[in-house]
Amino acid sequence: MRKSKQVFTIFVLIILMLNIIGCANNSTKNTAAEKEKAPVEQISDAKVAANEKVLLEQLQPLPKTNQGEKIGILVITLANPYWVSLKKSYELASKELGVNVEVMAAPTEGDTKSQLETLQAMIAKDYKGLIISPIEPNNLVPGVVNANKKGIKVVNLGPGINVDAVKDAGGKLDGRITVDFEEQGQRAAEYIVEKIGKDGGKVAIIQGIPGAGQSEGRTTGAKKVFENTPGIKLVSIQPANWDRNTAYNIATNLLQSNPDIKGIFCCNDVMALAAADALEAAGKRNGRIIFGVDFTDEAKAAIGTGKLDGSIAYSMDAYAKAGILLCLKTIQGMDVPQTVKSPLAVVTKENIKEYSNWH
Amino acid sequence: MQQVKRLFVTGNQNFSQILLGLVLLITVIVLSLASPFFLTWDNWRNILDQSALQVIIAIGMTFVICTGGIDLSVGSISALSGVCMAVAMHAGVSVELAILLGITAGALVGMSNGWLISQLNLNPFIVTLGTMSVVRGAALIITTGIPIYGFPKAFTWWGNGHIGPLNPPMLIAVFIALLGALVLNKTKLGYYTLALGGNEEALRRSGVAHKVYKLMVYTICGITAALGGLVVTARLNTAEPLAGWMFELDAIAAVVLGGTDMKGGRGSITGTIMACLLLGMLRNGLTILNIPSYYQQLAIGIIILVAIIVSELRLRNAPGHQKNS
Amino acid sequence: MSNQKREPIVRIVHLSKSYGNIKALSNINLEIYSGEILAIFGDNGAGKSTLIKILAGALNADQGTIVVGDKIYSSLSPSKAIRLGISTVYQDLALVDCLDVASNIFLGREPAYAGFFVDKNKMESESRRVLQGLELNIPNLNSPVGLLSGGQRQGVAVARSIFQGGKVIIFDEPTAAMGLQESAKVIKLLQKLREEGMAVVVISHNLHHVFEISDRICVMRHGQIAAICETKNILPNQIVELIMGATNIEAYAAAGV
Repeated sequence: MRKSKQVFTIFVLIILMLNIIGCANNSTKNTAAEKEKAPVEQISDAKVAANEKVLLEQLQPLPKTNQGEKIGILVITLANPYWVSLKKSYELASKELGVNVEVMAAPTEGDTKSQLETLQAMIAKDYKGLIISPIEPNNLVPGVVNANKKGIKVVNLGPGINVDAVKDAGGKLDGRITVDFEEQGQRAAEYIVEKIGKDGGKVAIIQGIPGAGQSEGRTTGAKKVFENTPGIKLVSIQPANWDRNTAYNIATNLLQSNPDIKGIFCCNDVMALAAADALEAAGKRNGRIIFGVDFTDEAKAAIGTGKLDGSIAYSMDAYAKAGILLCLKTIQGMDVPQTVKSPLAVVTKENIKEYSNWH
Repeated sequence: MQQVKRLFVTGNQNFSQILLGLVLLITVIVLSLASPFFLTWDNWRNILDQSALQVIIAIGMTFVICTGGIDLSVGSISALSGVCMAVAMHAGVSVELAILLGITAGALVGMSNGWLISQLNLNPFIVTLGTMSVVRGAALIITTGIPIYGFPKAFTWWGNGHIGPLNPPMLIAVFIALLGALVLNKTKLGYYTLALGGNEEALRRSGVAHKVYKLMVYTICGITAALGGLVVTARLNTAEPLAGWMFELDAIAAVVLGGTDMKGGRGSITGTIMACLLLGMLRNGLTILNIPSYYQQLAIGIIILVAIIVSELRLRNAPGHQKNS
Repeated sequence: MSNQKREPIVRIVHLSKSYGNIKALSNINLEIYSGEILAIFGDNGAGKSTLIKILAGALNADQGTIVVGDKIYSSLSPSKAIRLGISTVYQDLALVDCLDVASNIFLGREPAYAGFFVDKNKMESESRRVLQGLELNIPNLNSPVGLLSGGQRQGVAVARSIFQGGKVIIFDEPTAAMGLQESAKVIKLLQKLREEGMAVVVISHNLHHVFEISDRICVMRHGQIAAICETKNILPNQIVELIMGATNIEAYAAAGV
């Protein structure tokens, strides 16, 4: 009896201690944040506005707003902070534009079957239009065909749906908006190469899910830069399925086989942060460049502290807004451009302050 | 009331199915009140379509669980069979032959599971856990991790085709369901499947080749998993090495929910089918009601736990449920 | 004594079996005759169950043979034993509790169309017939066997053995877990089987029952046969002394067979 009482007391003390330390952490964070607010906010807002302008130009003439149309949105998974962010942006934009949106997702990054099933269920409802981002080029094709049959407009945002397959199945996409994935990989690789300098060195790429649009595009873009730069040696390209844990393990193994590696490009922030953690844990973070894509909130904070060297950003708010506008155009029977592309920004620790209020 | 209680605790099959049927009915009523889209034909087509896949795999699993065993490798088998079909078709093999190859692959894996479990008397959980990894690894190696896509229309018809208002996956499911019910209830294989779960030693001492029958049961499970692979691959027009993730858990959930005893000896195909429908309706209903997928995970997990608890309470005093082994 | 010159239906010759270092059976020689109840009596660990399992084909002997009719076998399997007409009603009954009565009675020998479709109706009518013949009253043939009483379950196991169409039927401790009434029923059953010309072998450690029904007694001790004699030629306390290890084995053996 005495022994368990002792254990319990120690347990309570530890909890207490953690709480106290936690409080101290919070208070310093708050005061620092308050100081920075005013001037930086303006710079970020200006950058977002510039990003939005490029998108809106492609969508002229703009559709009528505040008509209350119902739009269904299917993202990949809400277990990934990128899509969670995008969901918020969609909901924000929907309020601004006066439409009703409902955002659904598959349970995991790889569950292609469930994503299709969710799409089919959404088609049975009364949406006028759908904005869909497939896990893979082919898994949503049957759903697109079904939507066409019901007269629901289909806009593809982000990772691409296989247009040929859709055509073969007797369907069509009504609109497409994306970022240039290759460009993302290319610009990230350019930064890494520039930072490594003329001495050159070894680099590696950690991909997402093989075959997925964003993964393939970013890998291709980065690979082109790495292979065409003298002095740079691309030692490994490995998939980590957008998964934090897998990326951590791959980065650790990379270090083992190439202890002198200078830069790692990861196809998204989730994996980049995991790689940074892995290098940190091995005591080998310093002097190496780790770059991600998406500029999620977590990445933003990490670039601020130096944990991450940089990420490729585009304004999610502007992107989501443009997506909805594009969908509205299709619903209202207007002509649309072949593909609407979002401009990119390279955010690094050098210019992070200008992006601290990016959204 | 005493009568009802007695029916409840002795694991009377008919009673438990009536109970499940009631739950099904209540769910339909609740969901149709909650959303006007639930009862539309379009939506029901989706539910039946999606449940079809689960039914196919769960029926094979029903047989395995009736013997008191389990098969954790069905998801991997689905993936491997899809990959085999894909590789064959891309190598120029005809669609029919490719499908046959894929199903054979599934049967072979099932047979090896069955052999290890019946001949060497190894624990089914461990054996199929191992097979699950081996087969998944094989699928990844064959495809080098990259999904194979683009198949002839004759193949994708199996996932997306139309036969009147129905489609091939539904028809496969109906066929497998009828076949499964026939075999389990009316044939020697069915009787012996239940006996394997109830008292394998009794079967052995009665001079029956019990090991052979056990092998057959696991082979059946492999075949239904391969058929599941056919449906998924045809529907998505892609053979993914990572397909079939969690299929085994869905199948086991449906079997347990349907009233089959995990200790073996007592099972029902009808129950499995009703459970698949129930789970399909719930997934669909939650999507229609715009509830995010993590709540779906939670909801379905809770239902499964409740089902297991109810099942145990029901079967506690049922004959043959408590065993030494 | 008119039985003296008849042919044994089953002969066990020089049978031995060891589990690792433990010798479960050494050099067993035994003859089984039709129309007779042979009791095998012995303390725990005497080797009775092992002997029975070898006869039933559930275990294989290390040495020795089993002679059925004019064929000699060094080992049997459950299906072979049954085909040769040796049926066993085990102590644990080996019933499948969750299956119904008819299914249990026909386990392994289900009447079937086309080799796999089970003829449920035929199973039920035949089961009813056999059970009536054994004067066993089981009202609902569809109820799972696990819900029946001990005596009824015993009856089902016996019906199964009879159905296996045997010439020899072996009972391993048939009255062990039963009350007086049910034991009496079982004893009547055993006697009926003898009347019908079957060779009945009963393992029991209930001396009273042994003396009540058996024609011959085989006494086993430490894996060997201590004595085989006609029941009427020996007394219960002599058997007890044999088990306990009296040395005058020759005297008692001379009293029988």
